[in-house]
Amino acid sequence: MSVADDVITVRGLTLAFGDRVVIHDLDFAIHRGEVFVVMGGSGCGKSTLLRHLLGLQEPAAGEVLYGEESFTGASLAERARILRRVGVLYQGSALWTSMTLAENVALPLQQFTRLAPERIREVVELKLSLVGLRGFEEYYPWELSGGMQKRAGLARAMVLDPEILFVDEPSTSLDPPTGRHLDRLILQLQQALGTTVVVVTHDVASILGIGTRALFLDAESKRAIAEGPPSELKDRGPPKVRAFFGRDGASP
Amino acid sequence: MRLYPFHMATEGEAAAPPAALQMRREADSTLVIRLAGTWRLAAETPSLSVFESELERGPAPRVAIDAAAVSSWDSALVVFLSRLLETCKTRGISVERSGLPGGLQRLLDLVQEPELTAAAPPRPAGPFEHIGRRTLFLRHRLGSVSAFLGWTTLALARFAARRARYRAVDLGLLLQGAGPGALPIVALVNFLVGIILAFVGITQLRRFGAEEYVPDIVGIAVVRDMAALITAIVLAGRSGAAYAAQIATMNVTQETDALRTLGISPIEFLVVPRIIALTAMMPLLTLFADLMGVLGGAAVGTTMMHQPLASYLRHTSSSVTTGDICGGLVKAATYGALVALAGTLRGMEAERSSERVGEAATKAVVSGIVLVIAACGIYQYVFFLFGW
Repeated sequence: MSVADDVITVRGLTLAFGDRVVIHDLDFAIHRGEVFVVMGGSGCGKSTLLRHLLGLQEPAAGEVLYGEESFTGASLAERARILRRVGVLYQGSALWTSMTLAENVALPLQQFTRLAPERIREVVELKLSLVGLRGFEEYYPWELSGGMQKRAGLARAMVLDPEILFVDEPSTSLDPPTGRHLDRLILQLQQALGTTVVVVTHDVASILGIGTRALFLDAESKRAIAEGPPSELKDRGPPKVRAFFGRDGASP
Repeated sequence: MRLYPFHMATEGEAAAPPAALQMRREADSTLVIRLAGTWRLAAETPSLSVFESELERGPAPRVAIDAAAVSSWDSALVVFLSRLLETCKTRGISVERSGLPGGLQRLLDLVQEPELTAAAPPRPAGPFEHIGRRTLFLRHRLGSVSAFLGWTTLALARFAARRARYRAVDLGLLLQGAGPGALPIVALVNFLVGIILAFVGITQLRRFGAEEYVPDIVGIAVVRDMAALITAIVLAGRSGAAYAAQIATMNVTQETDALRTLGISPIEFLVVPRIIALTAMMPLLTLFADLMGVLGGAAVGTTMMHQPLASYLRHTSSSVTTGDICGGLVKAATYGALVALAGTLRGMEAERSSERVGEAATKAVVSGIVLVIAACGIYQYVFFLFGW
């Protein structure tokens, strides 16, 4: 992989809340078109890492690059421009509850493009049908099941055809079949659109199901202790990682 | 052609060729649709009507799509193709899609997947249906408000019997917030009301040379009605709105559901402590407000009428009876209960949406104030009837 094919590069990143360091010295790159999984047990700092990648929190040290551009060193306006290439599916789907699904999905289009209302309606219909929610345009988020809310959140995240899609805990609070369904949908969209997907999760089935490469964050040593294809980590990773995948006899 | 529709990939492609659509009929009557150029939302793209009018001209049993000349695309092309496929499907035309890039074909498959399609929720039709719905809603609301009042009465009875489930800490904090927390604003507002009443008194009574009755008028008006009324309105904006917003937010975050599933009635746990807090604190605040209102009047009396403070106060105390004060305090307790009821009811009624939280707070203030003023009117009539 050449450097140009790294969509996100993280160099020497240290995450901290005040004096309390969550993770030391992270170094990794996310390649174009892959499904990159950040995994680890609860409290290992994976959601914090996601917040840093999105600029919702400032790092204690180190930097994040999008392509060749520094993101952590960028001004607010530059960050906003970089983030226009990014879509985020939040853990609780974060749909705006005062708007219908159609309005939720249409908002990015209304704000960032100059499309005619008729055109926006067409695109919204398309995006909702891509996630199997055609006909639910006029529903409000609270009228839908958790899985449907997540899929609507996915439609909203994908509406501007992002280059990178961040997904925070896709299967949390969903039953396993619904979770797998969402995984499959993310994978299908990723393959169809060539989107780079960054998933933060502790769901083993999800990691093995969709991950191209994975980064394992360890809560004890506060470091990334393994990186590689999930199936390989599961069989040949460090003991802690194998234990995480539920391999018996490899408890740390 | 570009495989994937990235924003990035097209930066600096200002001179991209425009989107184009050509149709050609093959010898075996296949209609070949050739797409070329930039198919992007931001640019002009051909409409489907070109294809439809071509179909009008002569039937085509088969359609083949060739997108080899498309230089870049995004959702615009997907929208166009998905609608084209739909048109072909309804007309029974078979479509050859091998001329499309793999990613695009997969996307179209996702669109085609007839999974989970639901009928849209019924939307209001005409004005008559609207009126009907309103009426049914009013009946429903009448029922839900009565149920709320019923449950609250039962919960208050349980509270009196010391069997209600609530946290004493919560009640303490609510008492603290509703009472001492409101002292400064209650003091200020009632002092100003005292001043206003005194001014009205001076200007009107001067015409009859009866200025010396200003302390009586201010004292009686403040103690019997104004202090309780004004304090209730302040609390409607301060505590009533807060109660509605708190409880509505707890509905949104399912905290009230969590209480219910634990077997704790949200009415006992959330509504009762708030009603107790306001009902208990309102008379105390009103007593304080009485003092501030009289002092406000005295401020005008001493400066405008050059009456010594001691003589103003003596005048006031000779006209205001203990009955007046007690009447005011009874009213105050009622207003407190009404404001708390309005706030908690609006909060409990709120649906699970962040917009409803703000709505609940607004409605709580409005209905709180309306209820208080209506109650004030009823009290006037009752007190008048009994000659109190």
